This record gives sequence, C-alpha cells and structure tokens, in this order.
Amino acid sequence: MVSRLREWLRDRLGLEALEHVADKKDVPVHRHSFWYYWGGMTLFLFGIQVATGILLLLYYRASADEAYESVRFIMTQVSFGWLIRSIHSWSANLMIGAVMVHMFSAFMLKAYRAPREATWLSGMVLLGLSLAFGFSGYLLPWNQLAFFATKVGTDITGAVPVIGPFMLRFLRGGEHITGGTLTRFFGFHVAILPAVVTVILGVHLYLVTHHGMSVPPSVEGRTPPPPRMKFVPNFLLRDMVGWLAALALLALLAALFPWELGLKADPYASAPAGIKPEWYFGWMFQTLRMLPSHILGIEGELVGILGIGLGGVVWLLVPFLDDPRGQGPRARFWRVLGAVAIVYVVVFTLLVYRGATP
Amino acid sequence: MKRRDLLGWAIKAMGATLGGFVLYPLARYLVPPSIPEAVTRRVVAAKKGDVPPGGFKTFPFGAQPGILVHTADDRWLALSAVCTHLGCTVQYKNSDRMIWCACHNGFYDLDGRNVSGPPPRPLERYVVHVEGEDVIVEKAKA
Amino acid sequence: MRLPRILIAPLATLALLAALPAAASAARAGANPQNSCLDCHRALDDARLAAPAKAFAEDVHGAHGLGCIGCHGGDPTDADITSMDPDKGFKGTPARKDIAEMCATCHASAEFMKRYNPQPYIFSMAEFRTSVHCKKIAVGDPKVATCTNCHGVHGMLSRKDPRSPVNRRNVPATCSKCHNPEYMKGRTVPTNQYALYRVSVHGKALLEKGDLSAPACNNCHGNHGAVPPNTRDISLVCGTCHGREGELFAKSKVKAGLELEGKRGCVTCHGNHGVQLPTDALIGTTGDGVCGRCHESGSAGARASDVIVPAFHALKARIGDADSLLAVADRLGMEVEAGRELLKQADDQLVNVRATLHGFDTKQITAVLTEGDGLADKAIAQARDALRDWRIRRIGMALSVVVILLMAGLLALRIRRLERGPGA
Repeated sequence: MVSRLREWLRDRLGLEALEHVADKKDVPVHRHSFWYYWGGMTLFLFGIQVATGILLLLYYRASADEAYESVRFIMTQVSFGWLIRSIHSWSANLMIGAVMVHMFSAFMLKAYRAPREATWLSGMVLLGLSLAFGFSGYLLPWNQLAFFATKVGTDITGAVPVIGPFMLRFLRGGEHITGGTLTRFFGFHVAILPAVVTVILGVHLYLVTHHGMSVPPSVEGRTPPPPRMKFVPNFLLRDMVGWLAALALLALLAALFPWELGLKADPYASAPAGIKPEWYFGWMFQTLRMLPSHILGIEGELVGILGIGLGGVVWLLVPFLDDPRGQGPRARFWRVLGAVAIVYVVVFTLLVYRGATP
Repeated sequence: MKRRDLLGWAIKAMGATLGGFVLYPLARYLVPPSIPEAVTRRVVAAKKGDVPPGGFKTFPFGAQPGILVHTADDRWLALSAVCTHLGCTVQYKNSDRMIWCACHNGFYDLDGRNVSGPPPRPLERYVVHVEGEDVIVEKAKA
Repeated sequence: MRLPRILIAPLATLALLAALPAAASAARAGANPQNSCLDCHRALDDARLAAPAKAFAEDVHGAHGLGCIGCHGGDPTDADITSMDPDKGFKGTPARKDIAEMCATCHASAEFMKRYNPQPYIFSMAEFRTSVHCKKIAVGDPKVATCTNCHGVHGMLSRKDPRSPVNRRNVPATCSKCHNPEYMKGRTVPTNQYALYRVSVHGKALLEKGDLSAPACNNCHGNHGAVPPNTRDISLVCGTCHGREGELFAKSKVKAGLELEGKRGCVTCHGNHGVQLPTDALIGTTGDGVCGRCHESGSAGARASDVIVPAFHALKARIGDADSLLAVADRLGMEVEAGRELLKQADDQLVNVRATLHGFDTKQITAVLTEGDGLADKAIAQARDALRDWRIRRIGMALSVVVILLMAGLLALRIRRLERGPGA
C-alpha cells in the first residue's frame, strides 16, 4: 500500500529527477570536511526561523500601540508562546553565528574560486539579508532597548556620505523612529526579506548542487583524490545529528534563558545606559566607538563607516582578486588577510562585552 | 538483518516521540488563549449595574489603575486614576462632584483638570462607551 | 516728555493713583531722566543713601513703572535739592509704625491693584491687625516685623522670584531672621521652630527637594495674620493638605477625647514644627508606638490596638513575602507583571490602612486590612503559579533534550551500521 502510494507520487511529481540528483550528490572526505556542515546548519536554523516566525504572526500586531502588548501577550497568555518566541530569538542568533562560520570557512578554504564566484556572491548577499532580518526583527517587540538600538543603528546609516540621509529616511520611513518605522520594519521582516531570500537561497542551493562541493587547494592536487561520501544517506544523517544537537541547545536556551521583553519603548524617555547593538553588529559598533573623533581632518565615524564599507566590497570581490589556483603568494596574502579579519571581528566583538571604551 | 530492523524501528519510534514533543507545544500554541486578545487600548471597566449613579470604580487599565465615574446625572467618565502629584490612586467625591486624591488633598474636576492642591498636571481622560451591559473604556486617539 | 509741574506736585502727597501715569511713563523712558531721586542718590558717596537707588533697579514697583514718590513724596522732576522740600510733599523715611498703613493705601485697594494684575492679592489691614506682629507694633514695640522686614525694601521682588525672601522656599529662613533665640531673647515665644522645621519632613521636602507643594511657615500660620494656628480643630490645619486623615480624624472619638483633656489633635502624636515622616513604629502601644502614651495596657484603646497592630504587621509581612516570591520568579525569567499589579494594589491598601487608622474605627480599619490581605494573597498565588510553571518548563525541557539526544544517538548508530555495511 505504502509502496504503491510512493510509486504514484513518484510518477506524478517527477521525483525521479530529484532522486537522481540526490543520488549523484556526494561530499569529499578530508581533514577540512567538518566545515561542510555549516551551510546545512544555517539552512536548518533558517527553517526554524520560518516556522516559528509564521507562528508568531498569529498573535503579533505591528503597531506602536499594540506591538509591545501583543508580544507580552504571547509571552504570558498564549500556551507555549514563551517557547516559540524564545526559540525564534535564540535561533536567530544561532543562525547568524552559523552563517558567519559558514562564510569564514568558505573564505579560508577558498571555496570561492572559479567556477564558484557566483556561489560566493549569492552567499554574501544572503549574509547581508540575514543581518537585515536580525536588524529589522529586533525592533518588532517595540521595547526600550530595541528602540534605541534601532535609533543608533539608523543614525549610523545616516552618516554615510551622499546616500546616508536618503537611506535614513528610507529605513525609518521619515525623519524619526515612529510607529511608521515599526510597520515598515515589519514589512521588511515578514514580506520583502523572505521573498528576496527565497530567490537568492534557491540560486545559492542550485549553484552548490550544480558545482558540487569545493575542495580546498591543499587537498585538491593530491593523488589519490580524497574519497567521497554519498550525500544521501551518509552525509545527510550526519547533518541531522548536528541539527538535533542544535535543537537540544535551543530547547536548553529557551527554557533556561527565556528571551526578555524589557520595558515598552518610550520615544521621550532618555536613552537607557549601556545600549548595545545585537552582538553580530558589535564589532562594527566597537570600531566606530574606538576611532578618534577626527582622522586627518575627517570625522572619525565617517572614516570608520567608509573603511568598513570598503572592506565589505573587497571581501565581496575576493573571488576576482585572489589567485584562481588557490596557490602562490597572492593566495597566501588573502589567507593571511582572512585570518586577520577573523581575529579582528572576534576581538572587537568581545571588546563590546568587556565594556571597553577608548 | 534482525538488528538492522530493530534499529530502524527504534529510529521511527523515537522520531515519532520527537515529533510529538515538537507538535504538542505547536498545537497548544495554536489554540487561542481564554483571554482572546492583548488589550490595553480598550477594556471592559465594569458592568452597568456595578456602579450606581454617584458612584465610582477603579479598574486596571494596562499596568495602571483607571477610575470610572458614574455621575448623579447618569454620565459616564473615565480617567487615569494615578494622581499626577505623587502617584496615589484617586477617588470620586460625589458630594463635591470632584475627583479627589486623599494623599495630599488634590482635587481634579470631572474633566481631569487639576483645580486645587498640589497636583501639577491634569489626569489623562479616556473615552467611555456603554455597549449593552458593558461599560467600555478606551484610550483616546492621539 | 516733560509734564507740567503743576500736575504732579499736588498729587504726589495724595494717593499714588493720579500720579501713576506720569510715573509710569517716566519709568518707560528708560534712563529715566525725570527721576531726580534716583539720579542724585545713585551718584552719592554715602552708601546708606546710594544703596536704595541702586537696588531700586530690580524693584517690583519700579518694574511696574512706580517711582520713589509713592512712599517718600517729593518732586522727581526737580533736579535740585529743593525736590526734597516738605512743601513738595517730601516725607523722608516713613516711621515703622506707619509702614503697614502706607503699603495698605495701594495694596488694600482692589481697584488700584487690578491695574497691574487681573487677579491681585488684596492685602487686608484688618487681617494684619489680628497678627501678633501688628499688635506689638501698635504698642510701640520696635523689634517686630512689619511689611518691609519680610518683603524687603527698595530691591523688593515679586514673591514668585526665587530670590525673594517671601518666595516659598525662602520663607522659613526669612521668619527665622527674627524667630531665633538671640533675637527673641527676653520674650516668651519659642525659638526652636526653624531648627525643628529644617529637619522635618516638610522642611526637607521644601528646602532640600524643592517640592513646592510642601508647606512653609505661612501655610499653617497664615501670611499677614501670623498667629499660632488657633483653629478650633487642628485637623483643619493639617487637613488642608492631609485631607483624608484630617477628615477621618475630625469625626473620630480620639479627637473628642483629646479635646476633653485639652490636648490638640494631630500634634499630640506627630508633633508640630519638627514633624517627621511617620513610620509604622508610631502605630501601637509598645516601643515608639504613640498610642501607649495615653492608652494604658488593658484599657479599651489598648485592646483595640492589640487587634489592629498585629493584623497591620501581618499585612506588611504578607506583602513582603509576595514581593520576594515575585522577585524570585522574575529572576528565573518568568513573567510576573500580573502579580506585580496585584501587589501594587495590595500596597495601595496598606497606604489606605495607614490613612484609615486616623479614623480610629476598628471596623473600618479591619475592612481595609482584609482587602489588602486578599490582594496580597492573590499576588502570592500568582508568584507560586509562576514558580510552578517554571518547574514544569524545566522538566519539559529536560525530557525533550533527552529525546533529542537519544534520537541523535540512534542516528549515529545508524551511520556506523551503514558504513560498516557489506563492504567492510
């Protein structure tokens, strides 16, 4: 009976093609294989985000009058509402962490080399979209910390030369953060960003499947070539063990450290002490904070913003700047630069939490 | 061969259990709670019969108390009950037709204006509707 | 703008009324070349004579365009010493005993005062005469305050000006300029008021916190009719601000009892100038309890106190319990807003009990206590619920983690089996 149903579905849905792809897909096994798990991990956490996000939509109300109250309602009145919201918040953070690991490992293993430039570019766009998800979602509970973090964050955008003032108005939907900003961020968070992510993620996954897994230069030239593991079921089962571990971690975090709600945002209240952005923006925040007020007669913050922007562009274009063979002095330079960038980001993120000021 | 079946069976059983652990909270979450919505703009402050003419009632409005006044000439009024002086809860004095704070003898008129005593600011006024038996208090639109 | 002399000179000696337009326009002329009084006095080397003219720049009368002649007479349009000719109405320094009457010529006239202020304060000479100050002046006592002693002179400021000696925040210090042991030597009037007031709850609120709703001396003693508040019932004085307590006390049997003994309400327990923030220690017959001062143990009052006081402290303890339980739940990350709201209401009832105590009606007090107890119990129940919920969450979390890990273990086993498979 079950097998007949399976047959029926196969014929109707054309699952053979998919099965063929799944059967063909394999993963090289070598000492850097561990890093192959992080893309899947990100995808799993993204799935959790989609599921819990849809659930939150059942009770959330996007208006300055009701947003805070509705989140409070979810946390206190709705059965397991605290769980859904805590998982959504924690999983968001874990997902951004996984994205970061995925991106940096791809960089260090030079997975962006030809013919995978487009994979890298789409991945970088997805990273940017993940950060945008985090930034827009942070405001939605309309609490004091989120309000001021958003104010600071959009202020920084406003300091970008030429397009800054426009960007500020574009993000806030006006000069100030108001209920209109909340509605806007809600629209970004639940409609625009998901739509864009769906497309780019589709492209990214297609490209990964199309080109197969990249092998790092240190393993590439070796004879015999590294053995390969079938994706289904061997690698997928391993993936699932990792996902279950992440799920267990989420359950622990949500039950032991339910995500706080804090106080309702009050635009007229003075900014609370110790406003910090979400940790993944921390290194940029810390960089701007530690710059002197003027560098060579230009405003320090501006220099910082331009520097970070330039760094981002260079990072994005690395597939075209690095040696396509992944060897030689140019390749070594980029590897060292990558290591420096990782150390820089880690150190500056930690500095935010040491409360270090210049 | 037998052991393999056993493992397959165990995985299915455990998978089903895990599915239960995920689906149970989901199902519970989808069931609307007994209080149907997150209310703070609007609240049923009293039943009509609760407050006789000339009487008043304090009711929770969000995290703060509100005061519902039923005047002798059958008007309904609702205001914030938090005295603007030091935050005591105010009451209605039918004899004076005024809202009165017992802590430092602050008086407000029925529009919430601070008319005597130490209160520095008026009380916030709310909008009242009577719908059937329910007296509903709403925050005024800004 | 020169006015004919003939117009000014005769009027100066009469009321200021008619002279006003001239004086006012003269003041508006800026440097005021017309006012020879100020011109000459400012230039004098004798500080005693120059100071009034210099100080007058800020004077509230000057600001309203009134000049020197209203009080001193003379002719300010005359630039010579002849302007101070008694023939021109010059009066020199008014005698102390005449000052109040002189100020009253304008300040007691509603008609005149309304020219400057639509809602003027109208000084009442009749009221001033009821004051000890005025009575002593009338018998020629030179060391008693008249208008200028409190309000200042020449550099006189509106009472709304924070620098004015009669601004509410400055009143206690102003009164104490005379009401101190040194100045009052040889008199029977007590002189410890200022020292007591400064450390009292009222004094701290007004002088340290700047709370302008706190009373200064005049809010109880009156302004110009300054006397001890000899109202029939002191609760009328305190009740001006402490409304509920005053109202309850006025109807209470304790008030009636105190009257029979010739004691006065409020102050018997709370004191007067040095009134402190009343603590709960004042309630009861033991320790600092003020009830025990009159009610001997075993008396009806003491028996009532034995019922009320323990119940009061029980409510406080219950509120404390609810608070700490809610704090525990809060620290564990549970949402306790609803419990906090109940606790706030219970706290309100505790405040209500403290006020209701002033009615000395056991039934009334017990009713409020019961209501407070009910609210505190509900808050405790909320906290207990939150804590139970927290335990359930932990158990659920532990179970689900066990299931997840077991599942992971089984999958790991499956992988091993798979890869050891036929080939191995």
